[in-house]
Amino acid sequence: MSAILLGILALPILAALALWAIPASIGDRLAAMYGSVISGLVLIGSLLLWPRSEGWFAYVPSQDQLLREGSRPLQAVTDVPWIPALGVRFHVAVDSISMPLIVLTALLTFVCCLYSLKITPRIGRTRSLIALLLVIEAGVIGAFSSMDLVLFFVCFEIVLIPMWLVIDIWGDDHDPVGRKRAANTFVLMTVLGSALMLLGFLLVYRQAGTFDLVQLTNSPVLGGHGVPLAAALLIAVGLAVKVPLWPLHIWLPDAHAKAPTVGSVLLAGVLLKLGTYGLIRILVPVLPDATATMAPYLAGFATVAIIAGSLACLAQTDVKRLIAYSSVGHMGFIVLGISTLSQAGLHGALFANIAHGIITGLLFFLAGAIKDRHDTSDLRTIGRALYARLPRIGGLLTFASLASLGLPGLAGFWGEMLVLLGAYRPADSLPRTTYLVFMVIAGLGTVLTAAYFLRLVRNLCQGDPAENPASAFAVDLSRIELITWAPLITLTVLLGVWPGLLLHQWGTL
Amino acid sequence: MTLTWTDWQAIAVPLVLAVGAVAVLLIDSFWRSASVQLRHTVVTLLTVALILFGLVFVWAQRDDFKPAFCRPAVEGPAECSLVFEPLTAGLWAVLLIGALGVVGLSAYRLLSADVPVGEYHFLLLSALVGATVLAGARDLATVVIGLEVVSLPSFAMVALRRDRRGSEGALKAFLVSVLSTAVMLFGISYLYGVTGSLYLSTIANRLSGLDPELRRVAFAAGLFVIVGFGFKIAAVPFHGWLPDTYVGAPVEVTAFLAVVSKSAGVAGLLVLVTSGVAPSGSELRTVVAILAALTMTVGNLAALRQQEAVRLLAWSSIGQVGFLLAPLAVGDAQAVVGYLAAYVVVTVGAFGAVAVVQRHRPGGLLTDYRGMVRSEPGLAGALIFFLVVLAGLPPGLAGLFTKFAAFQAVIDAHLGWLAIVMAINVMIGLAVYLRWVAELFRLPAEDPFSVDIESPAVAMISLCAATAAVLSILPSTLFSLAI
Repeated sequence: MSAILLGILALPILAALALWAIPASIGDRLAAMYGSVISGLVLIGSLLLWPRSEGWFAYVPSQDQLLREGSRPLQAVTDVPWIPALGVRFHVAVDSISMPLIVLTALLTFVCCLYSLKITPRIGRTRSLIALLLVIEAGVIGAFSSMDLVLFFVCFEIVLIPMWLVIDIWGDDHDPVGRKRAANTFVLMTVLGSALMLLGFLLVYRQAGTFDLVQLTNSPVLGGHGVPLAAALLIAVGLAVKVPLWPLHIWLPDAHAKAPTVGSVLLAGVLLKLGTYGLIRILVPVLPDATATMAPYLAGFATVAIIAGSLACLAQTDVKRLIAYSSVGHMGFIVLGISTLSQAGLHGALFANIAHGIITGLLFFLAGAIKDRHDTSDLRTIGRALYARLPRIGGLLTFASLASLGLPGLAGFWGEMLVLLGAYRPADSLPRTTYLVFMVIAGLGTVLTAAYFLRLVRNLCQGDPAENPASAFAVDLSRIELITWAPLITLTVLLGVWPGLLLHQWGTL
Repeated sequence: MTLTWTDWQAIAVPLVLAVGAVAVLLIDSFWRSASVQLRHTVVTLLTVALILFGLVFVWAQRDDFKPAFCRPAVEGPAECSLVFEPLTAGLWAVLLIGALGVVGLSAYRLLSADVPVGEYHFLLLSALVGATVLAGARDLATVVIGLEVVSLPSFAMVALRRDRRGSEGALKAFLVSVLSTAVMLFGISYLYGVTGSLYLSTIANRLSGLDPELRRVAFAAGLFVIVGFGFKIAAVPFHGWLPDTYVGAPVEVTAFLAVVSKSAGVAGLLVLVTSGVAPSGSELRTVVAILAALTMTVGNLAALRQQEAVRLLAWSSIGQVGFLLAPLAVGDAQAVVGYLAAYVVVTVGAFGAVAVVQRHRPGGLLTDYRGMVRSEPGLAGALIFFLVVLAGLPPGLAGLFTKFAAFQAVIDAHLGWLAIVMAINVMIGLAVYLRWVAELFRLPAEDPFSVDIESPAVAMISLCAATAAVLSILPSTLFSLAI
C-alpha cells in the first residue's frame, strides 16, 4: 500500500521532469496523450488505495490500526526522518478524510489532460502545460497525504509556482497585463498566507515539540488563549487565504477569470480544497480549544462570505467571474460547517468539498467551452438563447447550475444540508443562538444562490433564437468534451442519489 | 611567545592561502614566456588546489576544538586569539566553497581580458585569508585585522578594470569602509576601556558584572561595533555604497563581493554575537533584530524596482542579509551557517548565469533574458532554480528550509514581530524573483539569447545547480555544517 502512495506521489513529478527533458518540438497531441497516460495511472493508483476492507466500498475500521476513536486508521504509512536538525519527518499516509480528496485530484487532473488532447489554450506550449499540471497534481496529493506539518507546508507551496505559470502564460490571451496581475496577486497572497501558517506551525512546535500530525492529534495542544490561540489564528489566516474566506478572497475572481480552462478547473476543484482540508486536518484536531474560541468568528466570516459571494454573483457580467464568486459562497458553506465543530457540520464540509470540486470543475469546463466558442466570457456579448444555439451545452450548464445551487437529488444538496444541520446544533462549547442566526442567514444565502444561477440560466440559455443568431463555427458538444465531462456528470448524479457512498467513510469524526 | 603545534594547525589554512597568494602573483609576473591561456590556467588550478586543500583540512578536522595563540588569564579559562571549532569549520567551509565558485567563474575566457590575472587571484586569496582569520578570531584586534584584510583587497578588485565605473565603485566602497573601521575602532576602544580586555571570552565574563553606569557605555560601544559591521555587510541604513559598487565591478568581482566578502562580514558578526559581546537578552540583540527587519524590507522593496540583473541581485542580496541577520540576532549559529551555505551556492550560480549573458549583452537588462527557456533551456532552467532557491519556494527546498530554520530560531526566541516582518518579506522577495522568472518564460521573444556557452561556465553552473539540488533533497547537510 505505501508503495502505491509513494508511487502516485513520485510518478507525476518524474513524468513532468521527463517531459521537460524531451525537446520542445514534441507535438501538442503527444504531450497531452503522455499526460493522460500518467495521470490515468495515478488515478488507478489512487483508486487502488481506496480502503475497502470488506467488499466494495464497505468501510469497516480494522481494530488493530486504531488511531483515535477507532474510526480513522491510517493506511499506506511511510515515516522516515528527513531533517533531524529541524524535527522534520517525511511522514505520509492516507485515511478516510484524505482518500476521497486524493481521488478527486487524480480524477480532475486526468480529465484535464484528456481535455488537452483536443482543446488547448491558443498560445500552445502544451508540453509545459501538461508538465505543470502533473507537478500540481503531485503537490496536491502530497499535501492531502502528508502527516507532518512541515511536509504539508512544503506540498502546499509546491503548487504555487506551477499555478502562477499556468495563469501567467496560458491565461486569457486578450489581456496580458490582466493575467499577469491576476497570477501575481494569486501567488503573492497565497505565499504570505502560507508564511503566516508556517509561523503558526512553529508556535505549535514550540508548545508540543513535534510536527507530527498523528502525535499532535493524539495529544493536542490545549488551551484557548495565549500562544495556542495565536497559533490557531495564524494557521486559520493562512488557510483562509487559500480557501478563500471573505475578506481574503480578492485574489480569486481575477485568477479564475484569467486562468485557462484547465487552470480554473484545477484551481477551483482542487487547490481551494487544500485550505478547507487544512482546517479539518490541522486546526480542529491539533488546537481544539483555540479553535473553539475562534469558531464563532470563523463562522461569522463564513456567513458573510456566503452572502457576499452570492450578492457579487448577482452583479457579475462575466461568466467565469460569476462561477468564481459562486465558489466564494460555496467555500463559505464549507467553512461554516467546519466551524460548527459538530459531526454533522464536519461531514457536511467534507462532503461539500468533494461535491464542489466535481460540480465547479464541470461548471468551469462549461464556461471554458462557451468562452472558446464566443471568444469572450462576457455575458452581454455572448448573447442569449443558448438552448437554441448550443442545446447540449446549454442543457449541461443548466444541469450543473442546478447541482451547484443545491437541488435535492444532485451532489450539491447534501453538503449544504448537513452544514445547516450542523449549524442548528453546533458543538456544546459553542454559543447556539449565534449559530442559529448564522444558519438562518446561510439559508437565505442558498436562496440567493438559486437566484443568481437561475438568472444565469435565464440570461444565457433562454431567449428568442431569432434575436441571437448562431455563429457559423459554433459546434455543439464535441466528443472530447462529452468524454471528459461524463465522469463529472455521473458523479454528480451518483453522489446526489447515494450520498452514503462517502458519508459512510467518515464514521464518527 | 612560541608557537605550539596547535597554533600551527589552527592557522594552517590561512597560512597556506597566504603563501599561495604570493606564489600566484610571482608566477604571473615572472613567467612571461608562457601564453596567456597557459598562465591563466596554471594560476586558476593553483588557486583551486589551495582552496581544495583548505576544504580537505576543514573536512578532516571538522569535529576538533583547537584553541590557538592562548595565554593564561587572570581569572577564568585561558584567553585565545584564534579558535578552530565546529562553528569555525562550518564558516570556513562556506567561505572556501564560495571562493572556489568565484575562482571557477573567473577561469580563462570567462574573466574579462582587461583584468590582470595574477593580481586578481592574489587579491582574491588575500581576501580569503582575511575572511578565514575573521571567522576564527576570538579577540577584537584579530577581528579588526581580519576584517581589514578582507576589505582592502576587495576595493582593489573592484577597480581592477581601471575604468571609470570601477574606480567610482571602489572609491565609494573604500570611503565607506574607512568610515566603518573608524566607527568600529571607536567602539572597540570603549569596550576595552570598560572591560579591560580585547579577548571576547573575557569581555563576555566581565560584561555581566558591570555596574549600570558602565553598562550603558558598554551598550554604546557594542552598538558602534555592530554599526561598523553593518557597513561591511551593507545592512540598512548603511547600505548606500553597495549597488553602485556591485554594478561598477566586473561580474566576477561582484560575485566575490556578494559571496565571500559578505559571508566574511556575517561570520565576524556571528562570532561577536555568539561569543559574548551580545549575550542573549542584551539590548544589542534587539538592535540586530531591528537591523534585520529594516534590511530585508528595504532591500526587497528596492529590488522590486530594478531593471538590471546585477542591480536586482545587489538589492536582493541586501534582502538576503536581512534574513541572515534574523537568526543571527537570536544567536542561532546553526541556522545562520545553513542559510549562508545555501545562499553562497546559489548566488555563485546566479552570478555565473548573469556573467554568461552579460558577456554577450553588456546592457544587463532583465529583458535580455526574455524567452530563454526556449532558446537556452539548460541555462534558463539553472537560473530559475537558483532564483527559486533564493526566494525559498519549492523546488528550491534548500532555500525553503534555511528560511524555515531562520523562522524557527526567531519564533523560539519569542520575537513574534520579527517573524511577521519576515513572513511579509517572503512575499516581497518572491515578487522580486518572479519578475525575472517571468521574463525567462515569456514567449515569443523577438531576439532570444542563444550562444555557445563557454565550457568552464557550463561546468560551474551545472556544479552549482547540482549542489543546490542535492541540498534541496537532503537539507539536513546544511544544518550539520556548524554543530
